[in-house]
Amino acid sequence: MANSLDAYLILSAMLFAIGTFGFLARRNAISMLMCIELMVNAVNLTILAFGAFIPALKDHASVIALIVIAVAAAEATVGLAIVIAIYRNRRTPLVDEYDAMRQ
Amino acid sequence: MTWTDFPIIAPLVAALLVAVAIIGVDMIAPGRSRPAIAVALVGLGIVAIAIVWTDQLVRTGQASGVAFGGAYTVDPLATYLDLVFVAIVALTVLFGPDYLGARDLPVAEYAAVLVFAMSGAMLIAGSSDLLVLFVALELMVLPGYLLAGFAKHDALSTEGAIKYFLLGSFSSAILLFGLAYIWGITGTTRIDGVAAALASAHGVSPALALGMALLTTGVAFKLAAVPFHYWTPDAYQGSPTPVTGFLSVGPKVGAIAIVLRLFVEALGPVHVDWMPVLAVLAVLTMTLGNLVAVSQTNVKRMLAYSSIAHTGYILVGFAVYANDPSGEGLTAVLFYAVAYAFMNLGAFAVVAALQKRPGVTSQLDTFAGLGRREPLLGLLMTLFLLSLTGIPPTAGFFAKALIILSAVQAGAPILGLAVVLNAIVAAFYYLRVVVYMYMREPQGEPAAVSHGALLRVGLAIAAAMTILIGLLPGPLIDAATTAARSLLPV
Repeated sequence: MANSLDAYLILSAMLFAIGTFGFLARRNAISMLMCIELMVNAVNLTILAFGAFIPALKDHASVIALIVIAVAAAEATVGLAIVIAIYRNRRTPLVDEYDAMRQ
Repeated sequence: MTWTDFPIIAPLVAALLVAVAIIGVDMIAPGRSRPAIAVALVGLGIVAIAIVWTDQLVRTGQASGVAFGGAYTVDPLATYLDLVFVAIVALTVLFGPDYLGARDLPVAEYAAVLVFAMSGAMLIAGSSDLLVLFVALELMVLPGYLLAGFAKHDALSTEGAIKYFLLGSFSSAILLFGLAYIWGITGTTRIDGVAAALASAHGVSPALALGMALLTTGVAFKLAAVPFHYWTPDAYQGSPTPVTGFLSVGPKVGAIAIVLRLFVEALGPVHVDWMPVLAVLAVLTMTLGNLVAVSQTNVKRMLAYSSIAHTGYILVGFAVYANDPSGEGLTAVLFYAVAYAFMNLGAFAVVAALQKRPGVTSQLDTFAGLGRREPLLGLLMTLFLLSLTGIPPTAGFFAKALIILSAVQAGAPILGLAVVLNAIVAAFYYLRVVVYMYMREPQGEPAAVSHGALLRVGLAIAAAMTILIGLLPGPLIDAATTAARSLLPV
């Protein structure tokens, strides 16, 4: 199984699962942002694994991965801006203290 | 790109140029809202003309309708959705200055960010490639996150924005994972290629099932379908009210466009596997949305739950479409999207108008005695709420009627019944606002506010469309049918 497509797909699925768990379990907004990055990078690993093992997908894989990286960077920029904005208002990065609207 | 591609992407290029022009005007005359609004409205008119022009070229065969080697397509569906997006953004621009101006928020940036979001939504509508679809989705939602946190010194606005952002990008990652699997299995990113590969394959492999589950989850988040709706109430309540109006229709219609392109078109050959899931999601979404909306005392939050319920009605149209070869379900979805856009934007605009004085909340009490205090505003709110309930002769009535009819014709009367029962529950909380407006005395004497001309024009358009679609639904049904046909297999 070593050095096969399945091994890489399982690895990236595990990374994705770790990211998902972290997103759901963490309370710190920055940590949650990092977990989302981990999920996106797991997807990138999936894409590159498909490209590396399936000859027909080879040319597309790196292009798709590059575009995904660019989109993830844009997303992180917006995310950090919002985190800074709320930190200035609340003086805490912990999301479970953002409960002004809870009824 | 070659020059033959240009007529096809002209509406998109025009939209991007309009956004840049708004920023340019703001740099020349910083902080002044009038020039920016004028450029935005004229620019949106030009974009609408460009959409119709491109559509004519494609219809008459002067242009192929396909650009960038098949990554972007202009068909009747793309034209229909593009025009809906332009109308939504134009109305949101009209509703903005009153509310934002009173709070010293920059109107020019608001308009520019809205137009950027619109360009993303238009790109979704015309995308015929999975990667383009994903980039377009991000182009639509990233400006949405910014708009939600537009009042950056307001604790509620930033709180709504961070919840919207975190769950939005979480769902984008899930959707992307699903897209990666679909691409890996079918070996192509082209939507028609995916459909062809799935049609020739036998059965659903485990990897494809995983991909479809991830896609369904991601799209359900974007649509705010139960049980993936938790971000919706906070994001909608926290955002500045005109922005809430936009978020409740713009990205929602954008998500509908994703379902049309991704599920109906690309995953069409395996529809027996995802349709039951959508049917269950539809019933859950409308029921829970309505039941929770009943107990809300904040009108913005109530309208947020009501928008979840409307997502449920729309999902019914998707859930039944394939049992009915005439595509009635898709026609109903497209009709519903337009009716919902006008009536929901109108309702949020009335809330925004009441909140023109900073500090006024969107609690039910704010509406007490509105019918006497500002008769016209009360009348308009009543119209929009009746339309959201689905009472004839308003747009909302025909929208619901088409959904129910399509469910019955497709042999799923249970889904139609669910819509009817839910509409009865919904009548309770919509009409409660009307009761407050006409039968409750206001506490204290709220100061009268004067409303800007732009807001009046916007409200007039939203109200006129809500009544007009209700009285003369024919042309819109024809347009929706034409748009839906471009998705059906020939």
